[in-house]
Amino acid sequence: MAVLAPVTESTTPAPRRKSVLSDRRTRFGLVNAAPVVVYLLILFVYPIFSTLMLSIKGEDGGFTLHWYADAFRGANLEILLTTLRISAETSLLALVTGFLLAAAISRLKPLWAGLAMLVVVVPHFISALVRTYGWIILLGDNGVVNNVLTDLHFPGAPFQLLYNEIGVVIGTTAVMLPYTVLLLYAVMKGIDRRLLAAAASMGAGRITIFRRVYLPLVAPGLVNAGVLSFILCLGYYLTPALMGGEKQTMVASLIDEQVMKQNQWNGASALGIILLLLTFAGLLLLRLLKSAGEALRKRGAAT
Amino acid sequence: MIELRSTLAGRITLTVLATLILLVLALPIVVIVVTSFGKDAFGSFPPDSWTLGWYRQLFAEGSKWPAALSLSALVAAMTTVFSLILGMTAATALVRSELPLRSAVYGLVLAPLVIPQVVVALGLFLLFEPASMLGSPIAIALGHTVLASPIAVMILMATLKGIDERLEDAAASMGASRLTIARRITFPLAAPGLVAAGIFAFITSFDEFFISQFLSSVDTVTLPVEVFNVLQYNVDPSVTAVSAILIAVAVVALALVAAARRLSGSGEQDGLLPTETAVGLPARSETAS
Repeated sequence: MAVLAPVTESTTPAPRRKSVLSDRRTRFGLVNAAPVVVYLLILFVYPIFSTLMLSIKGEDGGFTLHWYADAFRGANLEILLTTLRISAETSLLALVTGFLLAAAISRLKPLWAGLAMLVVVVPHFISALVRTYGWIILLGDNGVVNNVLTDLHFPGAPFQLLYNEIGVVIGTTAVMLPYTVLLLYAVMKGIDRRLLAAAASMGAGRITIFRRVYLPLVAPGLVNAGVLSFILCLGYYLTPALMGGEKQTMVASLIDEQVMKQNQWNGASALGIILLLLTFAGLLLLRLLKSAGEALRKRGAAT
Repeated sequence: MIELRSTLAGRITLTVLATLILLVLALPIVVIVVTSFGKDAFGSFPPDSWTLGWYRQLFAEGSKWPAALSLSALVAAMTTVFSLILGMTAATALVRSELPLRSAVYGLVLAPLVIPQVVVALGLFLLFEPASMLGSPIAIALGHTVLASPIAVMILMATLKGIDERLEDAAASMGASRLTIARRITFPLAAPGLVAAGIFAFITSFDEFFISQFLSSVDTVTLPVEVFNVLQYNVDPSVTAVSAILIAVAVVALALVAAARRLSGSGEQDGLLPTETAVGLPARSETAS
């Protein structure tokens, strides 16, 4: 009965007069939320907070920003820029290929679309480490890809595809691809195709329809997928570490090296906080673009 | 069906491109499974002759793989238990109660999915190193739970939303205690969701690399860390067989989830898998709630 009573209550405007804690339903919620909140505060929030503290602590224990200054100097700065460059290349490639694949799947009949989505989703749950190893086998000098290209007499084959930027971008894109496909597919499924037909019936050309009707409808998904895969790339370690050369060292590798080999925790912490801030910037951008898009749509609906 | 007329050439181009992209997703996995049965581990593809030798070698005397495998299984089992406890309570709080600061709690729960894993791993390292808990399976499992519990919470929230609350209310009105309701009504109805959440928590931990790498010591090395070390530093052809086993574990896990949903008949509305929730796409679920 205690459960029944608040159900009706919650439909009426909030009973503010009562003390919040006296509501049984509220107390029930707090008791149940406590474990996960306490857990994450101790094992997630506090560790990140101590990383932050370590990154601004000098050798003498006082406040300093020189770990950050170090991060933006010389070889470290180059690694930061490399990270941004590879993340940009990867998310762009994942976005384009994800768009093509999602567009193709959204036109298929349900059975085929289901099978194709299976090929997209199942790899996502297979360890990225294992998939990266698969790419190392595929892209080697005598790997399948080079063999096929040589057999086809592709000009320039065989190519050096491992331990350089091409390898890293291919491998990382394959890891990010399921994210972009799923996000874009969900948006594309929601598009009313009659809008496209309507535009066509009024004489719009194919390119016009794509540019003026389809693209604006898919835009929110593109923004989401692009920013999300960029963020996920920033802190990515496995594929660049295994498939890259010296010039493809990313921030995560640098942090790993500073902690494990040089015992340089303060510097590693500063790099971690920089990654964190870049991630927050990305999420903020996403939110801004979302509200800007909504405002734009509202204005469009009003006129 | 009203469909835009598309040119034949355009259609063929799109189909070819889409097939290529699907190959990009599938080939790395296929190549490992096939190579693991090939006699010449680093030779041509497809292999000229076949063998089960690499698998036998895994369990040969002096092999380091069984220890790594059992450590990973132990850690994953602990992570599963922790994640289910945290996931069930958190999902109940978020779906079935008036929670002050609800969106803040929800945001906190989802945060580990978007925060770079390096940062999480580094923070956990700084937490466990002074406590000299590096290399302890419990420390690794506690770390993995940070990543696995958000997934469990999302799956279980979807499960609870799908259970008609009036069933619980009806039991309550007939005098059932909260514990009885949980045991006799909510729990059986949520069972497929619990199975799915548990399995996803398990494979999240089983495949996790970075946190394990930071929290492991010389003699406690999880399977993915061992695979990474082999790939980076020394050559051991049996790593292909280990990778194939990791693939098999993931595929079996996914099949189990699909089977649980099929048995309960609850998976029909969203196809094969709770993909969006399990893949961890907070961007969309945020707008849904």
